[in-house]
Amino acid sequence: MAVKTGRGFAAIEYPTGMNQNGDPSQAWIKVKPDGRIDVFAGTSDIGNGSKTIQSQIVAETIGVPYEWITYDNSNTDSSPVCTGTFASRATFVAGKAVEKAAENVRQKILEIAGKELEIDPADLEIIDGEVIAKGAPQKKISVPDVAAAATWGYGELLTGTGAQLKPYATIVEPETGKVDLPPHSAISYASCAAEVDVDEETGVVTVKRLWQCYDVGKSINPTLVEGQIEGGAVQGLGLGILENCYPYYPSVEHRGGQFGAYLVPGMEDLPQIDTLIIENPSADGPFGAKGIGEMANNAQPPAIATAVFDAVGVWVTELPITPEKVLRALQKKAAGADAPKRDGKTVIFDAELSVNAVGTGIAFGTAA
Amino acid sequence: MKAVGARVPRYDGVAHATGRTEFVDDVRIPGTLWVKAFRSPVHSATMTNLDTSRAAAMKGVHVITWEDVPLLEYGHLSALGIPADEPLLAKDEVRYLGQPIAIVAAPSEEAAMAAVAAITADFQERPALFDVRKAFDADAPVIHQEGNWYTHFENEMDRRQIRKGNIDEAFDKADLIVQGVYRPAAIEHAPIETQVCQVVPEANGRLTIYSCTQALYFSMGVVAAHLQLPLNKLKVVGGTVGGGFGGKVDTATETMCALLAQKSGKPVKWRWTREEEFLCSSTRAPWHMEVADAVTKDGWILGRKMLTLHDSGAYSRFSPYGLTKHSFHHTGAYSIPNLEFNGYVVYTNRTPTTAMRGFGVTSVSFATETHMSRIALELGIDPFELRLKNANRIGDTSPNQIAYTDPSTVPTILAIADAVGHDLTSEYAGMTPAQRSGDLLPEHLVGQLGNPEAH
Amino acid sequence: MNLTINGVETPIESGPLTSLLDVLREELGITSPKAGCEQGGCGACTVLVDGEPRRSCLTPAASVDGAAITTVEGLGTPENLSPVQQAFTHHYAAQCGFCTSGMMMASQAYIDGGGTDDREAIQHALGGHVCRCTGYVKIIDAVAAVVRGESFDPNVTAAGTAMTNLGGMA
Repeated sequence: MAVKTGRGFAAIEYPTGMNQNGDPSQAWIKVKPDGRIDVFAGTSDIGNGSKTIQSQIVAETIGVPYEWITYDNSNTDSSPVCTGTFASRATFVAGKAVEKAAENVRQKILEIAGKELEIDPADLEIIDGEVIAKGAPQKKISVPDVAAAATWGYGELLTGTGAQLKPYATIVEPETGKVDLPPHSAISYASCAAEVDVDEETGVVTVKRLWQCYDVGKSINPTLVEGQIEGGAVQGLGLGILENCYPYYPSVEHRGGQFGAYLVPGMEDLPQIDTLIIENPSADGPFGAKGIGEMANNAQPPAIATAVFDAVGVWVTELPITPEKVLRALQKKAAGADAPKRDGKTVIFDAELSVNAVGTGIAFGTAA
Repeated sequence: MKAVGARVPRYDGVAHATGRTEFVDDVRIPGTLWVKAFRSPVHSATMTNLDTSRAAAMKGVHVITWEDVPLLEYGHLSALGIPADEPLLAKDEVRYLGQPIAIVAAPSEEAAMAAVAAITADFQERPALFDVRKAFDADAPVIHQEGNWYTHFENEMDRRQIRKGNIDEAFDKADLIVQGVYRPAAIEHAPIETQVCQVVPEANGRLTIYSCTQALYFSMGVVAAHLQLPLNKLKVVGGTVGGGFGGKVDTATETMCALLAQKSGKPVKWRWTREEEFLCSSTRAPWHMEVADAVTKDGWILGRKMLTLHDSGAYSRFSPYGLTKHSFHHTGAYSIPNLEFNGYVVYTNRTPTTAMRGFGVTSVSFATETHMSRIALELGIDPFELRLKNANRIGDTSPNQIAYTDPSTVPTILAIADAVGHDLTSEYAGMTPAQRSGDLLPEHLVGQLGNPEAH
Repeated sequence: MNLTINGVETPIESGPLTSLLDVLREELGITSPKAGCEQGGCGACTVLVDGEPRRSCLTPAASVDGAAITTVEGLGTPENLSPVQQAFTHHYAAQCGFCTSGMMMASQAYIDGGGTDDREAIQHALGGHVCRCTGYVKIIDAVAAVVRGESFDPNVTAAGTAMTNLGGMA
């Protein structure tokens, strides 16, 4: 009996935006008389940081400091439609809506600035809150002065709206699943290697290290990207070895009604996590971003399951990989009863878990 | 770029660090009534003799049941034309332990609990079904009148299908067929903020709904549908959520609180206990997945057969959506030219399941990637190289026949190989995601190469 | 009953068995401690009682009569953040922010008790606090930074540890 170490690897992909699309996000922006910017969008911030991300997108698009942005997602009277914060869409889809609104505001600022400077707006740009003539930087007017001129001089409101909606991708052939349009806004990719210790005596699996690589398109906010990836890694660890609402499923008794009984990962479960970021920009996302939030807990479970096999030579494919399951699998292996069934060129793992073994109304594969 | 790509201060960072971020539970409205639920004590039963009269007679107590809901059934996906199968409050059938039946509002939490304790009903219990693998058996307990699985995919098909290429030929040609079963568990979202909602009836006849929803407009639409109100009668206040992970896309409390606010004319508040959150809130689905891959000795995956049973719990909620997404991604980050996928949304007598981080794909990533590791071991091929060999490349097509435009499978795999010090042969070490050259294209991939014009 | 809350002596009207959490939130309107579970399991309600971290949801008011209670409101203000508050802001140690108050109070107790910047020691000390969002990495980073006495530029946030951006693809 000993503690054995093993490694496993997995590569995954994940779509950005609601599957099959048809999920609108909208935003509107107004400029205060001193040039400060108010953004109204209906995107819930569930901790993912969409208030921050969308403020950054607006600041960058208009060309003003981030600190000038006020972001209001507080209610449905002042904010337009956002389908919601799910499907890794808050940066890509909702962010695209605020980007479009900000671009319209930028154009309005340039129009007024053009009148003030008597320069064609096409020859102006906005940098750090100042409208500057391209190639003649001494000719300039500040965005606050433009906003004041619009308000008190021209009697205009500097405002802009934006909406992002990818058309619904229809399944044109229900028999084959063929769709007429891409059913996603983008696809993100990730790879993960896991290193685990497995105690053959207790069955306890400890995830020691995770190496991860994510293609995020563009890190609009690198600190938030890290937070999503770290948080996702620990949730993936929970999926892999800890969490289960129904520990005796298919019996539903003994559900955990408190944190003492339902095991979410704690700080002491934290492995060393090394993360690499790749920025392979998406064609349509704001500044090339792709959705990163959800996929962050998808690659660890298969990497962990494979690492457990690498360590002690048993496959546990019913998650989570609890000490009990590991010990039962080791027992089975010791009894020589763990080998997959082999029949000609077919090798069948987990036959005892299959619908073919448990149910009678439906069958699968070669062992029907 | 100045703001984009910068490590700017978090917009809400100082508010979080000073404890001043206002969550729904922090909203203070004097005279607010507490809300509690009378829930099904059994997994499956016919309910008769629901009696709320003793509770309703208590001082300051208001009660709603199914009779108070203008539109009792409105599905999470009704807006997409998918039929509803779940009543807001149980009428005559209960299909899971903890299903809400009657909701009370009372002047204090203790009074609300006493009112719930005064509600009675009779339950004629039936055998319950918990194992999706037995849902299709002739003698399986029947959960819904229309059966034990969802039957409303396009053309009223009872399953989600993917078909691509010639699956029989792929399995005939295969050197090896590897089959396995993968079963991730149901898990809890477990946000630290439990489901919570306050509804205030305003003087102008509107309802202000303080909500922890992840989707302000979605939740407003659900409330409006159940109450049969135009949107100008509702104002949802929120956007600041104490963790969601998918579980707060469900409109768990808002509609019932809105009905109680209407009925009582007073502000009401419902904050789920942690026990309610664990036992009654929707969960991530447990999935049952079986995979059979047809592979060649040198590591090409010619074809994949897959059967997925998506455990929806007692009602469908977002499950048909999740299964469709699952089917679209069942080849993972690879090009597999011949496919036969069958997936069912299966009802059981468990708490309804719903969206959770990675919805529909977390499951299939676990199944197919664990399966890839097994294939590599069976063939004696390096697990990184097996994946690189089959990696989706620019122009390859997805299960639903859409060309991949910017896949990063190759660089992310190479990055991890490098990080862990895993040596690759030169053929793979220098690989890129570029479009497969026609000359070098394996015969089995010729037929499914996407049209580059469509990029 | 009387409590000294964030330095201010405060008469308490709630009953003796009322939880300290309810006294703070419902009677006094001090809302930084959160009702995450009311079972003592998550730590979101943690406050300092005479300097020691306590789960206020499981603490009857009478059992702390006369004690000094510190909540996040007693650490600092937006204009004058305490070192722990600065570090949590600088490191994005809060995502949704719901566990943050309890996490910060436990961190403050750890630091006040002479805790080191050793990551395992921090993990052990804060092990009973659940955060579902962050994966804990940035919380540990923040606590370690306070122990080391690092100063923080309020205009920039910290780069993550063990994070490398490889940039675009060749």
